[in-house]
Amino acid sequence: MLVETRSTQLLKGTLDMCLLATIAQRPCYGYEMVQQLAQQGLDLVSEGSIYPLLSRLQHLGYIDGYLVASRDGPQRKYYHLLPAGAKQLEQWQAEWEVFARAVERILKGARSDEQS
Amino acid sequence: MSRADQHTRQQIADLVEACAGYWELRGVALESSAQMQLELEQHLQQAVSDGKSLEAVLGPNPAAFAEAWAREMRPRVFRGGAKVLRGLVYALSVVSSSALLSQLLARSPAFTFTLFGAYLLIGSGLLALLIQLGGFLAPRINKRAGREALVLAGVVLAVLVLRLAGLQVNWSTPLLSWGWPVTIVLLALAAFLFSLTCWRSSHREPLLTVSESWSALRTVTTFVASVGVFDIVMFFSSVAVVDFCRLALRLV
Repeated sequence: MLVETRSTQLLKGTLDMCLLATIAQRPCYGYEMVQQLAQQGLDLVSEGSIYPLLSRLQHLGYIDGYLVASRDGPQRKYYHLLPAGAKQLEQWQAEWEVFARAVERILKGARSDEQS
Repeated sequence: MSRADQHTRQQIADLVEACAGYWELRGVALESSAQMQLELEQHLQQAVSDGKSLEAVLGPNPAAFAEAWAREMRPRVFRGGAKVLRGLVYALSVVSSSALLSQLLARSPAFTFTLFGAYLLIGSGLLALLIQLGGFLAPRINKRAGREALVLAGVVLAVLVLRLAGLQVNWSTPLLSWGWPVTIVLLALAAFLFSLTCWRSSHREPLLTVSESWSALRTVTTFVASVGVFDIVMFFSSVAVVDFCRLALRLV
């Protein structure tokens, strides 16, 4: 059985936001998103977990998919951001910044308590 | 291509096929399922070529992955409804078209639906269901051919047991008999229900790139061809089985 690390748990809660942010940069397909996340230091326990989230984001009207002919083989499904997705991403980013600042303040407080 | 590559490709194909079977059972529309399979297959192939394992993509439990993705597809209030409707349309199309053919070809005033016809219709429905279920119910048999062989062996065994138990069946026993008016009503009903399923799927699952008219034409053609093939199989099998039973009875 796999033991979930804290970073895995954190990523689970923010993966939809990370995917939306990745797609906001430029349209991309599933494997590309995984590679971009990995380049930023976010390694997924199971890469396929992005697909249910992409479907959810698509049904919520935040992103849309389209097939593009590939030179290497069959068509590829690319995702691009929709206006509702851009708006949602802004809101999520604002929420995340507030949350991250709060956590940082708490951790800094804990560290200064330890030092004193 | 090395043997290891072939083995991995086969594993990918089997995994994608198993997921597709599960999504079909969960009521995911065929158009969506086709795109999901495409995405999954390409991701697995690219991951493998980058030296990753299949588990790195699907996690330790592929069935959980398939379920998680199916859950995120358009939720339906009554998922079984679409399945029941599709099955009903198919059964109705087979019965009404075989009635039409028999009345046109044999120029008989009435169509007789025999016990064998009912057996074949119900049996093929169960077979289709079991083969799909086999994807996750029998994880050791991960090939469609293996699952088909298993179901076939089960059927043969059941027939042998019933035969040994002394069960004698007259396959040509007529169950139902009707003339032109009922045949026309059944055909009209099948056509109406088929249009309803097409309308439902086109409204629930908007297509992304393939033109809707082309896809609808393909669906109708596939369906008509499938019903036609079933009719032919039913016709030849019923003749063969009834003749075989008669011959066997004479020999006994």
